[in-house]
Amino acid sequence: MSFTLKYKNIDEERQLPNENYTIADLLKELGLSAQTIVSKQNGELVIEDTVIKDDDDIQLVQIIYGG
Amino acid sequence: MKCSKCGNPKVIIKRKQSGQLLCKDCFIESIEKKVIRTVRKEKLLDKGDKVLVALSGGKDSVTTLEILNSFREMNVIDICAVTVDEGIDNYRQDGVDIAIRHAERLGIEHKVVSLKDEYGITLDEIMQMENHKGSCTYCGVFRRTIINKAAREMGATKIATGHNLDDEVQAIMMNYLEGNTDNLTKLGAKTESKAKEFTVKIKPLREIPEREIGLYVVAKDLEVHFDSCPYAMQSFRGEVSEVINQLAENHPTIKYSTLRGYDKIKGILKDEFKKDFAHGRCEKCGEPSANRLCKACSFLEELGCD
Repeated sequence: MSFTLKYKNIDEERQLPNENYTIADLLKELGLSAQTIVSKQNGELVIEDTVIKDDDDIQLVQIIYGG
Repeated sequence: MKCSKCGNPKVIIKRKQSGQLLCKDCFIESIEKKVIRTVRKEKLLDKGDKVLVALSGGKDSVTTLEILNSFREMNVIDICAVTVDEGIDNYRQDGVDIAIRHAERLGIEHKVVSLKDEYGITLDEIMQMENHKGSCTYCGVFRRTIINKAAREMGATKIATGHNLDDEVQAIMMNYLEGNTDNLTKLGAKTESKAKEFTVKIKPLREIPEREIGLYVVAKDLEVHFDSCPYAMQSFRGEVSEVINQLAENHPTIKYSTLRGYDKIKGILKDEFKKDFAHGRCEKCGEPSANRLCKACSFLEELGCD
């Protein structure tokens, strides 16, 4: 069970740790704030509560930068 | 989970402040309606206005242009835009190119003014000097002066900037915490000066949270320059912003209540603390100035660029 993560220069396959793993869990793991990121699941915008499924393509877009 | 408005299960935002869930179409519509409501409530536009959008190519200015363009399409206003190229290597050019493409897409009059052309120096060059006062100090003053000049040259009656809810709340709190009553009188949706050389400034996005502007441009597939200025550093604004965002975690309406509270006392602040406008003129460039030289010219003199 895995998904693809795309974020800035990262394009990698990651293992799904459990069945209820959400985008919010992923952001936490990456140390990113949901306040500065919007998320896409298979090309469509989704909220952070969304559960990541096997073979999903998850893209994170940073929309807020400091300064 | 379904969109609170239309029932679409493809929800893209859960608004903590209201508990509202919205799908892409309803979210886009809600942002556009809210900006239009601010424009009407604050009387930001008059029929026949020519609005100069300060267009950096970032999310805030592109959103401002996109939504104000709906008033242009209804023949209420005309729009032009100016992009300031501060001369920051590996950063600014992308934003400039994006701004040019948006202006071309919408068919609006647009010009790019560089610090190099205007003052003979780039921000990168200033930052190489030993006696500089920090990038943001120069950038703010030179940008403001260039935008004001462009407004006069292009015959604009209003200048629209992309200040969002977060920017505005940060400014209110920063000035309050610093006891800067003079600056507190200058905030708000519309800033007018008695000096006729200063064009009226408007902030149509003032009630939209920064994150929602980011989501709006992604939802609408608008090309924007998402990047961090290499000179961005830990500033007082950054610290204030962090505290406000922390508070907003458990108090999701706090940014709105700060803005509303400020708006209620703004009139009193202006009556009590507003300074007279600059009657004098800068000896060098002729811009309004309370002193012998305006801020831009005095910086140039200090930097040995005159």
